[in-house]
Amino acid sequence: METLGFLMAGIGAAMQPGILLAILVGVVIGLFISVLPGLGPAAGVAILLPVVVGLDGTMAMAALAGVYYGGMYGGAVTSILLGIPGDAPSVMTVLDGHPMAQQGRAGDALSMNVLASFFGGLFGLVMLVGVAYQVARFALAFGPTEMTALMVMALSLVSVLGGKDALKGFAALALGLWIGMVGLDVIGGFPRYHYGSMHLLSGLEFSVIAVGLFGLGQIFAAITQPPLQDSQKIRYTFRSLIPNPRELIRCRWDLLRGSVIGFVVGILPGVGATASTMLSYAVAKRFSRTPERFGKGAIEGVAAPEAANNSASYAAMIPLFTLGIPGSATTAVLMGGLLMIGLQPGPQMFQQHSEFVWTLFGTFYIGNVALVFLTILLIPVLASIVFVSRALLFPMIICVVMFAVFSIGYSVANLWIVIVFGVLGYVMLRLDYPAVPLILGVVLGPLLERAVRRTLIASQGDMMVFLQRPIALTLFVLTALFLLAPLAKRGLAAFARHRNAGS
Amino acid sequence: MVKTPRRPGTAIAALATAAVFSAGFATGAAAEYPTRDITMIVPFAAGGGSDVVARNIANVINGLGLLPVTVIVENRPGGSGAIGYSYLAQQEGNPYYVGTVSAGFYTTPLTGGSPVTYRDFTPLAAIATDPFVLAVAAESDIHTLEDLQAQGSLVTGTSGAVSDPTMLAHILEDILDISIQVVPYDSGGEVLSAQLGGHTDFIFLNPSEILPQVEAGELRAVVVTTEERMSRLPEVPTMLELGHDVTVQQLRGLLAPQGVSDEVVAFWEDILEQVADSDMWREQYLDRFLTEPAFLPSEPFGESWIATSDQYEALMRDLGIID
Repeated sequence: METLGFLMAGIGAAMQPGILLAILVGVVIGLFISVLPGLGPAAGVAILLPVVVGLDGTMAMAALAGVYYGGMYGGAVTSILLGIPGDAPSVMTVLDGHPMAQQGRAGDALSMNVLASFFGGLFGLVMLVGVAYQVARFALAFGPTEMTALMVMALSLVSVLGGKDALKGFAALALGLWIGMVGLDVIGGFPRYHYGSMHLLSGLEFSVIAVGLFGLGQIFAAITQPPLQDSQKIRYTFRSLIPNPRELIRCRWDLLRGSVIGFVVGILPGVGATASTMLSYAVAKRFSRTPERFGKGAIEGVAAPEAANNSASYAAMIPLFTLGIPGSATTAVLMGGLLMIGLQPGPQMFQQHSEFVWTLFGTFYIGNVALVFLTILLIPVLASIVFVSRALLFPMIICVVMFAVFSIGYSVANLWIVIVFGVLGYVMLRLDYPAVPLILGVVLGPLLERAVRRTLIASQGDMMVFLQRPIALTLFVLTALFLLAPLAKRGLAAFARHRNAGS
Repeated sequence: MVKTPRRPGTAIAALATAAVFSAGFATGAAAEYPTRDITMIVPFAAGGGSDVVARNIANVINGLGLLPVTVIVENRPGGSGAIGYSYLAQQEGNPYYVGTVSAGFYTTPLTGGSPVTYRDFTPLAAIATDPFVLAVAAESDIHTLEDLQAQGSLVTGTSGAVSDPTMLAHILEDILDISIQVVPYDSGGEVLSAQLGGHTDFIFLNPSEILPQVEAGELRAVVVTTEERMSRLPEVPTMLELGHDVTVQQLRGLLAPQGVSDEVVAFWEDILEQVADSDMWREQYLDRFLTEPAFLPSEPFGESWIATSDQYEALMRDLGIID
């Protein structure tokens, strides 16, 4: 109850015109930056940081945080309409969002994105305000050993995303794992597979890989295909752009599971929103009664990852505000912002700067609501892209992709990287290799590798530690159950058939 | 790795000479400089330690009007600093480009990841120093270095494989004759998480990362690597006091490309000294980031580069990263 009072006071304090303007500026910038393929929230926050440090502290942070969670709304727009992920956390949204758009259901997909983003965001916000301190403590219990178990579980869950041909799926996964190793090895301290190039030294930017693989690859493939017939063109009515509450009810469990997964994964240090979208997509598919629809335009495939990434964006702020620890690249920049405006994030921040923190939380609530209206307003404008002829659209997209990719660190090398991955994406499409296992390898591989090596350094090579820690052991047992359940089911069914036949 | 304790008297004297010097300088041959805006290159992303120093220096210079032109901070991240430093080195002889010094400045060239080394740059001056604090969990039994020694085998976390805390852990192993498992994490934030979650026994981190946790009663500081006790931790001994000749500090300062004139170097020494002596710098940087003041002119700063690079090289040989 006391918390509710603080929150209400915070929302009230955030209603000042100056702060409202800062929220608006932040979320609009976040929306647009994340719509630019390859540029994500981390880049947006970093770009805006130097501009806002001169402002009043609350305004500066309201704008910066607005860019961060605003980005989670916008990334999905290009994922759905063009099949090009706007940022890393919206890669999974491509899988079903784009097929939906191709089937003329762009409106449904876009409005589900808004609903799922709002739902996930609201879930994250309620948890942020309600149980931030307790869950922050719980997240600390996740050391390298627990992280190993969690990543093993994640990889076993996402095994459902492999596609039809298991061998091709594993080949793509192996390629992804290798790509994930490129760059300076954090544990060993030496560079791997950089072939003497300083551009590969800090590894490959995941969003550049995703944009090349999905975006350019798909454009290259489309260019080599004959032009679409009129009947195949994407159509939608403006009416279909208005969010439909019935879809919300239909996807309620996917939304809830996505929000929970996003929250739990988002709060863990160093894991991030992107991994949470992969997990929640995999879980949605696994729990679905019609998993075969996934990848072909299942609306749950949009709902689950979008709820997860928005929930994760708020969860990631919990360690920052409760313990003074930045758990992700973006929150590290937010922490830089806090320091620059003269606030020392730490365990005492809630006590020492309680008014500031609650006002900031208030801005999150206002921003989340504002984003719903902004995105709905923008959808018709953005969605009209599909009416542009391919002869105009493709060159334009390629220009925008190149511009966005270049502006990540003003690097010409990134342009070559995105083209290489575009060609790879094209080849994989043509040869029917699934792209999803590759990106899973790139994101989850390094997390698993580092967790295993950190555990074994600390235990001096003793493998038993994996079984000696309760959380890790529980996760391993759950993983085993997940993997064995389908087998056991089939075994029981066979047994039953056998008995029925015998009697 | 170098320190210069400043006394008020010398500060005022230095300021006086600096004022006289710059007055003379203004009427000298190079009176024109600077006529254009200065670009300050940060080879790392916005929001990081290196970026924060650069932006604060720029803020103070611009805010106090120390230059007739504006200092513009530009981030050129990538390649663990290699991209930004290479770009800066290409501006040979151009006095309108300056940059920041950070750990990647030394370590990336040593791994062969960067085409430029410290020899490709001109030191301008150091302006602050970041020491390290050894901290343990507040409920831990470890109160002193002897307690640490009694443990025999310990686990610590560091940010990256090659860092000052890695070096410190190796030094501790030697002087206390214990075994320490060094677990490299991705960032200082992850190191802190691991320590608060009980996954490591102790950590070395900069005061800005440790002090909020100490003041909140989460962590306890055991020893510091400064020459004299830190004002914010008056009851915590230095390694020197305990009889170990260990002072490790990270110097924060600026550099220029190779080939800039001595006048330009002297000009920047003077500007940076004015920054270091300003109240604005103390309030906006030293107090907020819990950093120790340390002004070091070009020459000793340059000497510290050689010493630091050698120390890192020895460490990387120890770790088997280079041979």
